[in-house]
Amino acid sequence: MKKTKITAAGLTFAAALAGGSAVFAADTVNAAFFLEWATPNQIAKVDKAYDKAMGVDVNWVDFSTGVAMTEAMLSGDIDISYSQGLAPFVTAIQQGAPIKMVGIAVVYEANNCFVRNGLGITSSNATELEGKTVAVPLNTMADFAFKSYMNHLNVDMAKMTIVDQAPADGAKSLADGAVDMACIFGGASAKAAGEVGTPIMTKAEKVAAGIGSFDVISVTEKFATENPDLLRTFMEVTEESNRAWTGSDAQVTKVAADAGMDFETTKAQMADFIFPTAAEQIATFFNKNGIAAQAAASLGLLYSNDSDGAMIAKTLDGSYLK
Amino acid sequence: MFEFIADQRAAIAAVFILTLLLAFGVSIYIGRKEYRKNGQDQVFGDPERTKGGWYWSLCGVSALLLIWFYFSWGVARAYFPNAANELCQIAKLDEALSPIRAVLPIGSRSYQSTQLVARNGAQIEALRDSMPKQAFSRDEQQVLELVIDDVQSLLGLSSDPDQQSPEVAAQIELLSQELRAIAIALDAGPSAVEPSAEALAQPKWGATYTEIPLLPVTARGILFDQLSQDAALLSDRFVTLKNIPPAYATRIPLITQKIEALSAATKAQQFSDADVEARKDYIKSLDRIFNRLDDGSIFPAGSFAPLMKVFQELARAQAHAKGSLKVIDALFVPGAGVVKSRTQCSEQGSGRWLPKPMDVVVTFAELADPDVEDGGGFKGTPLLWWKWLPIADVVAFVIPDALADLWAGEYARHGVDGKVQENTKDRLLALAQGDIDLGSVPALDGHLWDSLFRVLVAMGLGILCGVPVGIYMGVSQFIKGVLDPVVELYRPVPPLAWAPLILTIFGIQDDGKIFLLFMVAFAIMVISARTGAAGTQLSKIRASHSLGASNRQILLYVILPNALPEILTGVRIAIGVCWGTLVAAEMLAGTTGIGFIENVARTVSDYELIWVTILIMGILGLAFDLIMRWVIQKTIPWRGKG
Repeated sequence: MKKTKITAAGLTFAAALAGGSAVFAADTVNAAFFLEWATPNQIAKVDKAYDKAMGVDVNWVDFSTGVAMTEAMLSGDIDISYSQGLAPFVTAIQQGAPIKMVGIAVVYEANNCFVRNGLGITSSNATELEGKTVAVPLNTMADFAFKSYMNHLNVDMAKMTIVDQAPADGAKSLADGAVDMACIFGGASAKAAGEVGTPIMTKAEKVAAGIGSFDVISVTEKFATENPDLLRTFMEVTEESNRAWTGSDAQVTKVAADAGMDFETTKAQMADFIFPTAAEQIATFFNKNGIAAQAAASLGLLYSNDSDGAMIAKTLDGSYLK
Repeated sequence: MFEFIADQRAAIAAVFILTLLLAFGVSIYIGRKEYRKNGQDQVFGDPERTKGGWYWSLCGVSALLLIWFYFSWGVARAYFPNAANELCQIAKLDEALSPIRAVLPIGSRSYQSTQLVARNGAQIEALRDSMPKQAFSRDEQQVLELVIDDVQSLLGLSSDPDQQSPEVAAQIELLSQELRAIAIALDAGPSAVEPSAEALAQPKWGATYTEIPLLPVTARGILFDQLSQDAALLSDRFVTLKNIPPAYATRIPLITQKIEALSAATKAQQFSDADVEARKDYIKSLDRIFNRLDDGSIFPAGSFAPLMKVFQELARAQAHAKGSLKVIDALFVPGAGVVKSRTQCSEQGSGRWLPKPMDVVVTFAELADPDVEDGGGFKGTPLLWWKWLPIADVVAFVIPDALADLWAGEYARHGVDGKVQENTKDRLLALAQGDIDLGSVPALDGHLWDSLFRVLVAMGLGILCGVPVGIYMGVSQFIKGVLDPVVELYRPVPPLAWAPLILTIFGIQDDGKIFLLFMVAFAIMVISARTGAAGTQLSKIRASHSLGASNRQILLYVILPNALPEILTGVRIAIGVCWGTLVAAEMLAGTTGIGFIENVARTVSDYELIWVTILIMGILGLAFDLIMRWVIQKTIPWRGKG
């Protein structure tokens, strides 16, 4: 009997500790980011500019998927997700997660799907992909890009063998000839896939077809309500580091070290990135029926037929950019 | 069919729960009775004591299922179908009030203003200490000191109730009164308003993808919903409320002017690059703190006292208006309860990640539905079904393409008439590639079969190769010496570490996955067979030897039976580990399989599907284990009695 009492007391104590950490949450802000995804604000991150400006410790945790970021935000371990993919954000909203989009981290060319060299398949004869095998990391932005390409090029996805592979594995399988096309995100993996394959759509074709992607800055509703000043400063520092970005070698070296990539890959990756200013974001992304709302709505429909775009649009909030 | 289940949820749940409770109670009763009857006679440690005892299994399983029902909110949904909807309305009120609550010491230890004063005060002090003296002239340093003093004084001004403009106090008072009106309305209770037709047409709790109906369907819900709309308006007003003391009017332009002058000096005068950088950084940091303080989000500690009081009233009134729902919330909705996000209400806590038993059954039924055209199965493949397997495919698998290449002659070329005349070499190639019609046989198909196939083939190969190797390692110095380092080197490496290599060596087809599982099974079988063989009592071997047994006979009739218990235990362990490795194997290149379903479900946080796959794997593992136990019982009944 005595033993049970002690256990019960222990549990209560553990619960109190767990609950207690939430009360102190404002002393440290927990932010999520991706490795292999170079952004100018990593300079601010390394220089502790965020910590200085916000007056609290910013604890950066690296994640491998946007879904994991959502899970961590729901469990209260992460307050801000920097550069979460639009796809995991939208699926989280569809499941009623109390998070919202407060900014655009990076606008980039849609992830590439590499066709193995030697197959002779380009955008002009893309229907030859029917019957072929494709490696796709399912439910990611690369998957979104893949579906957009196939829809645009009128390729029947039901006739392809789709293999769920992480980008690194997909690049390897493409090189081994196990798959005929691999859709890839991440700098190092894309570089490896580019060695043995060619993107199904060129940069210009993608722009013409209106296929693009962007990553978002998402926060928990709780953090945004309780610490609007911290969030505003976070966005401000992000904006400043984006504006201070010149692409100089010193800057790239710093970002490369933090992103876990080599200098050349980082430079190549960032060359394709656009970091919209706060004013641009307000004017073109967060306005009514802006790019953010439209992209989120069409992406939502891709994953679930009864997805409501107007509902997703309610979770977009550009007010912290001002 | 699922609508019927949803409508009859309470009755079905009642039957289940009563059965489980009964099973739980009866099993404990029988167990105690049996123990009183036989328990005392047995000696501790006697393996006979663990025989039988089905009632304890029943007790464990029913307790587990009851816990599942309870913590998944299955009980709450069955008996209080409107509870989630009502809790959602309450969550709406909470959400609407959250901007006001955030500034008060509710759920945190201090006023938000206190935190802001502490944080900004600390930042100002840090700024004062970190002034880059080399970048500013002596005069400028003095100006900076003054500006920092001025900025710091803003903290004092905004915290001083005497400096507060009377208008702000009046606004807070007004807001408090209006909030009090909400508390009074809560106390008055719901009025007889009918729920809207739109609300009644909503799908029920958990019936669709959107979990909880958003619009209120009960009188209590309507009350909370309406008040939450009022509260949202009050919150909007509160957020625009700023504490700008009258003294700011003179001080702020002064500070702005000085900061601008310093910035202008940076541009006008000649500084080294490093100094320009240092000056800009420093002025920016100062400006940032100043900009934060001049917008008036800091209030004197006492000024929110009326709000604090009215929030206590609100909490009491809310608890009163919740009525019986309070008990349901506390007892049947364990975890964080229902939370309102921007667009919908969702279950948080165990209700979110532990799906309700009924939902798991429905998800399983959808997955098991072989009609893939109509939304059954997963990603176009059924769970477990059959299909016509062309015999040609099997033949093609056996005959290598190279055989056709080796055949004498050349492959046919197209003729002048634009047609291709096939020759024997072409027909042989067609056979080797499965391009001919040899009729079809029914064969199993689906995710479950694919996973089973991989595990069973890997296990079969593991036993076939592992047992002889293990036994010879137990009896032969040469084989032990040669193979021991190899097996022991690779055995401790986790299968996942092999995964990338296997992908490159074998590609994305079944062979790679089977090889990965085979490596796991092989190591376990070798170790167990070797331990079994080496553990044979020397007296038995010598006895048979002296009776004239040959080496072969000793191996087959003495050592093998002796090793059998260890080998069969090895099989049990290996099957378990194989199922565990399967998820990793199917992650490499997922096309089909239970592990593939789980990997994809994880990327969209589909907890129902995740649990279905977990249960399928668990039940399959259990089934295999039961089979193995039966085999052990039949083949080595002497085990543990030697």
